[in-house]
Amino acid sequence: MNGRWAGLWVLAGMLLGGVSMSAHHSFAAEFDINKPVTLAGTVTKIEWVNPHVYVYLDVKDASGKVTPWSLSSLGPAAARRAGVTRSSFGQGQTVTVLAYHAKDGSNFGFMRRMTFADGHSIELWLGDDAAKQ
Amino acid sequence: MRKMILAAASATSVTALTAAALLFAGVIMAAQTAPATPRTADGKVDLNGIWGVAPLPPAVKPGESVRWLLPLKGVNPEGTDVFKGLDRWQVDARAAAPNKPEYKPEWVAKVKDLSAKQGVLDPAFYCKPQGVPRMGAPTQIVQTPGQVVFLYGASNLFRVIPTDGRPHRADADPSYMGDSIGRFEGDTLVVDVTNFNDDTWLGSDGYFHTEAMHVVERLRREGDTIFYTATVEDPSVLAKPWTITPRTLKRSASASDALLEAPPCVEHDAPHIVTLDHH
Repeated sequence: MNGRWAGLWVLAGMLLGGVSMSAHHSFAAEFDINKPVTLAGTVTKIEWVNPHVYVYLDVKDASGKVTPWSLSSLGPAAARRAGVTRSSFGQGQTVTVLAYHAKDGSNFGFMRRMTFADGHSIELWLGDDAAKQ
Repeated sequence: MRKMILAAASATSVTALTAAALLFAGVIMAAQTAPATPRTADGKVDLNGIWGVAPLPPAVKPGESVRWLLPLKGVNPEGTDVFKGLDRWQVDARAAAPNKPEYKPEWVAKVKDLSAKQGVLDPAFYCKPQGVPRMGAPTQIVQTPGQVVFLYGASNLFRVIPTDGRPHRADADPSYMGDSIGRFEGDTLVVDVTNFNDDTWLGSDGYFHTEAMHVVERLRREGDTIFYTATVEDPSVLAKPWTITPRTLKRSASASDALLEAPPCVEHDAPHIVTLDHH
């Protein structure tokens, strides 16, 4: 319900125009949509910058080894127009992230959804629900 | 009131003549209630205000879920076409737009080549200012006698535009936003911009320009609306002057629309780009 409401605000903002979206690179040039990854870890840093918000995650495997990941998201203006602020991304919290792996194979991805321990989630994604098959 | 009259006309089976009379009355009422164009103490059209900024929604509360989709018509959010779909949507939208700068025949191949490599060559991708006119209209205007200041809330940029009749300055280096001087023609502020560097594009499709580019912007206020347009001349590369698609900016009435500091631009992506996909 809330997601739908926030989406309407963003759409209204785009239609009103005047707010210049930051120029950004093609996601297809960086991320592989066929390589979704699920990462469980602790949010160590949130970089609230243009043209994309970055979230840094320490991912711990079964042996206890920690691997740092960085995750790109949409831009801060688009996030804010969805009602999402820097604090929404849970600095210091343990979360699970659905992301798409970078094509260069580094520990880098495009974050689609962050799910928190209490079950609530923040999803900033792209598409048209009416086109689901 | 006008809405009520029109609703009444459509909801009852009045004759066409009566409906027309009611419509006419509605138009007259709308004309009478349209806000006047305000003026400053020196008699110039008053451009002060925040313009074209959509109000921000409330921030979500802690623990509240959000699911938001950047609208991409026809692209299944669960499918494998999402990233390509975004690029395609933007490329198609620009291709369908009738208003494009027209280059001299000898430069058409260069534009095509730059466009094909846009994903790595577009200067705006490296946190550089998009420049005039690509950066669009100002989001706030501050006007004092002899000077107008344009503020750009999305990028923390500004332009100070003298309107006291002085000529372009001759001692400045070429720059992203150029050197601006303004003058008032009736209810229109005309801004003449020269002395650009060549490190900006006019748009995403490889539309380069030279340092000889000359831009004339026009901002005409009518009631609570500014009509913004810009015309680009660059005779050594453009076949003819190009005028951007005009933009209509509504004045923000709410104090909560005050411009906030934009987050800085920090480029992290370039090292991860492995293909020439672009949008």
